[in-house]
Amino acid sequence: MTETTIEPFAEGFVMALAPEFVLVIGLFTLILVPNMGDAKFRIPLTQIRIPWFLGGKRGTLDRDPRLPGLFASIFLTVSFLMALASFVGGMERVNITTANGTELFRVDEFSRMFEVIFYGALSLASIASIDRLPATSTADRSLSGLYNNRRQVDFYILLMTCGLGMSVVALSQDLFMLFIGLELASFSTYVLVAFMKETPEGTESGMKYFIVGSVASGVGLYGLSLLYLWSGSLQFDGPGGLSEAFRTSGMEPLPLVALGLILVGFGFKVSAAPFHFAAPDAYAGATGPVAGVLATASKAMGILGLLRILLVVASPENTEGSAVWLVALGVLAAVTMTWGNLAALGSTNPKRMLAYSSVAHAGYMLAALTAVGVWSEDTAFADDASMAVVTALIFHLVVLVCFKLGAFLVLSILESEKGGHTLESLGGLAKREPLLAVAMFIFMMSLAGVPPLSGFVSKLLVIMGIVKVAVGGALVNGGTLNFSDLHWVWYLALLMVLNSAISVFYYLRVGLVMFFHEPEEGREGRLPSGKSIRFAVLACVMTTIYFGVGADQLITVCQSAANALLNVW
Amino acid sequence: MGGTSSSEIIVQSTAAEYAPLILLLPMLAFPVILFLGKVFNGNPFWKNNLKEGGLIALTVMGASLILALAVARDFIGGFSSMEELSEWVWFTSATWESTTMMTKEISFGFGVHIDHITVMLLFIAAFLCFLINTFAIGYMNTDPINDNRNHRFYAEFVLFCSGMLGMVLADSFLWLFIFWELMGLCSYLLIGFYYERPSAAYAAKKAFLTTRVGDVFLMVGLAMLWGMFGSLDYDVIFNALEDENFMAGISSSTLQWTLGLMFIGAVGKSAQFPLHVWLPDAMEGPTPVSALIHAATMVNAGLYLVARMFPFFGAEALHGDLVDLAFIIAAIGGITAVMAAAIAFVQNDLKKVLAYSTMSQLAYIFTGLGCALWLANSLDWHHDSKAHGIVIVAFGAALFHLFNHAMAKGMLFMASGAVIHEVHHAHHHLHHHDDHQHESKHPKELVMLNDYLEQTGQTVYEFFKSIDLDGSGEIDMYEFQTALKNAEIADLPPWETEPLLAAIDLDGNEKINVPELEITLGNLKMDDHDHHEEEFDAQSMENMGGLASKMPITATAMLVGSLSIMGFPLIGGFWSKEGIIANAWRVALEDPRFFFPAACVLLGAGMTGFYMSRMWLKTFAGSPKTEVAAHVAPTNTWIKTPLFLLTFVSLAGIIFAGMGFTHWAPDEGYAPFFDGKKGLMEGILYEMEHAFANHDSFFFILSYVALILGAIIGPGLALSLYGGSLDEGEQAKPWFGPILALNAAIKGRYHWDNSALAQSSLATALSNRLYFDHYYDMAMLKIVAAFSFKAAEADSGVIDGAIKSIERGSQNLSTRVRALTTGSARDYILMAAVGTLALFGLIWGVA
Repeated sequence: MTETTIEPFAEGFVMALAPEFVLVIGLFTLILVPNMGDAKFRIPLTQIRIPWFLGGKRGTLDRDPRLPGLFASIFLTVSFLMALASFVGGMERVNITTANGTELFRVDEFSRMFEVIFYGALSLASIASIDRLPATSTADRSLSGLYNNRRQVDFYILLMTCGLGMSVVALSQDLFMLFIGLELASFSTYVLVAFMKETPEGTESGMKYFIVGSVASGVGLYGLSLLYLWSGSLQFDGPGGLSEAFRTSGMEPLPLVALGLILVGFGFKVSAAPFHFAAPDAYAGATGPVAGVLATASKAMGILGLLRILLVVASPENTEGSAVWLVALGVLAAVTMTWGNLAALGSTNPKRMLAYSSVAHAGYMLAALTAVGVWSEDTAFADDASMAVVTALIFHLVVLVCFKLGAFLVLSILESEKGGHTLESLGGLAKREPLLAVAMFIFMMSLAGVPPLSGFVSKLLVIMGIVKVAVGGALVNGGTLNFSDLHWVWYLALLMVLNSAISVFYYLRVGLVMFFHEPEEGREGRLPSGKSIRFAVLACVMTTIYFGVGADQLITVCQSAANALLNVW
Repeated sequence: MGGTSSSEIIVQSTAAEYAPLILLLPMLAFPVILFLGKVFNGNPFWKNNLKEGGLIALTVMGASLILALAVARDFIGGFSSMEELSEWVWFTSATWESTTMMTKEISFGFGVHIDHITVMLLFIAAFLCFLINTFAIGYMNTDPINDNRNHRFYAEFVLFCSGMLGMVLADSFLWLFIFWELMGLCSYLLIGFYYERPSAAYAAKKAFLTTRVGDVFLMVGLAMLWGMFGSLDYDVIFNALEDENFMAGISSSTLQWTLGLMFIGAVGKSAQFPLHVWLPDAMEGPTPVSALIHAATMVNAGLYLVARMFPFFGAEALHGDLVDLAFIIAAIGGITAVMAAAIAFVQNDLKKVLAYSTMSQLAYIFTGLGCALWLANSLDWHHDSKAHGIVIVAFGAALFHLFNHAMAKGMLFMASGAVIHEVHHAHHHLHHHDDHQHESKHPKELVMLNDYLEQTGQTVYEFFKSIDLDGSGEIDMYEFQTALKNAEIADLPPWETEPLLAAIDLDGNEKINVPELEITLGNLKMDDHDHHEEEFDAQSMENMGGLASKMPITATAMLVGSLSIMGFPLIGGFWSKEGIIANAWRVALEDPRFFFPAACVLLGAGMTGFYMSRMWLKTFAGSPKTEVAAHVAPTNTWIKTPLFLLTFVSLAGIIFAGMGFTHWAPDEGYAPFFDGKKGLMEGILYEMEHAFANHDSFFFILSYVALILGAIIGPGLALSLYGGSLDEGEQAKPWFGPILALNAAIKGRYHWDNSALAQSSLATALSNRLYFDHYYDMAMLKIVAAFSFKAAEADSGVIDGAIKSIERGSQNLSTRVRALTTGSARDYILMAAVGTLALFGLIWGVA
């Protein structure tokens, strides 16, 4: 395994960050192309007109409202494929470090894995959004506004900046870079949620999401600055970094306060209870693909931040004994998963239901993260167990893109006939669109964790990981297994199983409505939507099944990503 | 345990790499056929050109057959030790082992295990599934009753086949069990294909539940096995059996119990005493299904499981420890062989005779396996080459009988299907204008009561609750009288109510309980339905006779199949049956307990000769017993082709025997024909000498006793009682000439009146299947039904109540929780602040 260190803009810099640079080029393209026209520039005092192209009367092609979507989809997909391709034939690890030794970015399996998640989700969302426009401009006022290609450009620019911000979070080795990326991505999502400004829900939900989100960001930033104040360093790792500071004096009040504040900031991003309140509103107000991005990519970004801060900076080895955040995170996980499932149980709006279900999934992921904080005397075992749990976590985030985003895309197809906001609008879907209903059912089954779908494998891996941590520690000490020897994180696994059982109720209800209820009045025949979103749904179905049946391959890749994070190369 | 669970590929063979496709193709065809059938239902192209999915099924079964043959070719041609081919890994998980302080990888996945037994069963299953599929196209698609629902048949058919193929190929007992259950499900679906007929629905339930009894034991056995070996992979277990250190820690008596429990599963699946009751009823399914269950798939599964246990019995570490189980296996076989043959004596339904014959022949194989397992367990066959030969030949004889029986029985069922199909057509042709109206044999009040329940839409249980005035759980005469009056059925005086009550009161305590009422009304519905359905029974041999001239190919196939089952010299089953009988007696000489199964199989040989001859003669010889039988026409090509092929396979039994099948099938080290050491003629002569001129005088006499019983006395009795020459002017094919002439001569000369015997209590008992079903029903009624009604009450009261209240409670809680999402950003921030404080508290508390 090779590892190289380069300075910014030195040789090899562009190649190392190729997917990001593709996105930057895409941004410029998106801004420039729709503004191309027949404008000419007259050289002053002469009659010579040089074609200038920017501005003027536009041609039919660059006035097409679908063009930005097409461009964005292509650029995001290219980035996605480039991130994916870096896994083929061994990853080249690159550290990007300034001349004075400050580490900025690190390109390794871990960051690339998360980029795959981000770009995958965003490109699917982008592909699915192309067809949200009807074939011809209509008299509907809310739509005619959308039927403007500059308006469309805004949407896709935001999707791409969102991707750029997320990948900066993934790459960052530094609190400052982390925060910059976080805010770039967050601000993009705030606007994306409010993008349907013609509808009252869109504006309201975007506003609420922005207010609560900015408060959480502020709190998080305060935590980050306290950390800097305490240690005098912004670096996660390396000499004089935060990690070292924690190892020497981690139990002082200042870093603990900082840690609490940071938990709040990222808690909002992963929509952990009780910081999740804006999420259901935001998901319900946003369009299907945007809600899908919030539930998958944005959530992955939050988990990514937590992994960096909790495992690299304040990891259990650094604090002797179980991590200080163990109890706090455990309680957060337990509350989050239970709250999410209970709230989802009675929701009749499928988008809110999925939002609450995504809160529940955040709880499962936090439970897994909690298990990593358990300290074990046996370092070999501890490494092994952390590896298993982090692998499960990454696996979960990857497959979440497949079925959670897929479910939102199906709802997005329903939005094309102003449905998708009530459970009953799904009624009789099996008769109207059998394949779509089957796809939705597969997504629901995967969310519920039914074998052999990928949702089952991810849940199983998380539960097995937690149980392993809880049992393994006991076995190392005693040799025989007593119930009292089990670490209390065991109860988180139990709670997860119970919660999964509850969740089956509301996931199956969707199937019930689709297959056994009659369609609502006025809803009949096939749904009016284009091919590209159906293609995106198909991709989601295929991957949901494939990662379930062929889980082993993905697990191997996730293991290498987990290795990279935990420095067990 | 020390073995690794990761399977390694021992020998690479291209065909074996594609082996999973053998089961995957049919499995994938299942949804495809079902889906296309739903979408294109009634479409003329789908119906006429694709035969409602029949041709899709045929294509995938053909592909499976070709792949199976390729695997068999590679295996025989030198790859004879490719045992483990792990193909697909679902996911691998590392587990922490406290004892070794190391992580061990456990992978979940599916692998393919190919050895001699696999190859043989794979061939049987793939070959017969393909032929039965061909037959089904001719059988199912020409019957108007199946119109527009054949896609369901073909979809379930291919799923059934993939279950069997998967079970045979699987590399662990776990996958064996999974596919085993898949077959159980498919048998339920297919036996109940005509689910609108209550008898078919009943038979499907019976088959499913009876085999389920065995499956529970099998599951417990597998759990115990896992407990002992830490894995269910063949690879791991069979390696562990060779490991002396490991085996020192295994209790052989526990292992015997484990294998015994697994054997009960096999008893259920292969319909052996005492779990045999489902097999005759399973005839309710369409005939191709009967052929599939009896020849290609289901019943062979039990035999396969027992054959898979061979390494346990053959293990040196367990020498002499498992002989009791071997005896039980042989004894169960012996009992069933005689019992089923005896019941077959009195059956008049063509398919039921074959069903009992299946039971009896499977029993032979169980006896053969039991003896082989005994020999493997008590002889020192690892070191003594003579003992090795004995064990191998005993095991091989049982497997060879499995092969011969499958081929012959598949052919017999298809031939019987052809007969029934044509008789049915002839009947339809003659009588389709007749419309009979039947009187129900049940009291009219009960019929009215049934109608009343149907009109009001009450369940029996609800009705019962409403008429049980004193709440005692039983209805006495007064309550019953009142109920009839209230329902406006009849206002009867007590003395007229009494016989009515008695008609329902099955246990004779003068009171009615819920199960009794349910059973009575159920019977009433069933009988009514049967009456309306059809008076003429196209399956009864009483309505046939003299068909030899009308359906020459079918009659020939049936004849060859019957001779093979009877063990007529030189044809198919003869070679293997002689072997099984000889080995049973060989063991009996060593272990006196085995005299019982040995005597049973010897007696059974004669009985088989009788009932198989009886069946053939009643159907094909003599003069037509009904007008319908005189108008039967030959059958179509789809049906004839598989019959034609299988006739040759059965006739070629001598060639298989000569190729050393009995030696080769169980043992990889012995391959006289395939490695060219011994020529075919030499092999045939060797087998002939063994069968007819054995050097050992005991076996010489034994082989002739069996031969005389099976091929002379049994058929002779049948010849004297049934059949006779064909009608004047009917011309049969020349090869029937000697048989029909012999039949006419013997019947004319030695015919005797067997009516006294036919009316004896034994015959009555036999035609009531020795009352097994009756007693099982009684036991169900008395114990299980009573208990289950109590359980149902507890379920609706306690468990459902709890679930309902949990559901209500959580919905209320959900409403409350969601009420916190007020919609106002102010509140959200407040909640976040509360959360922040709580987090601080928790972190401070720890630190």
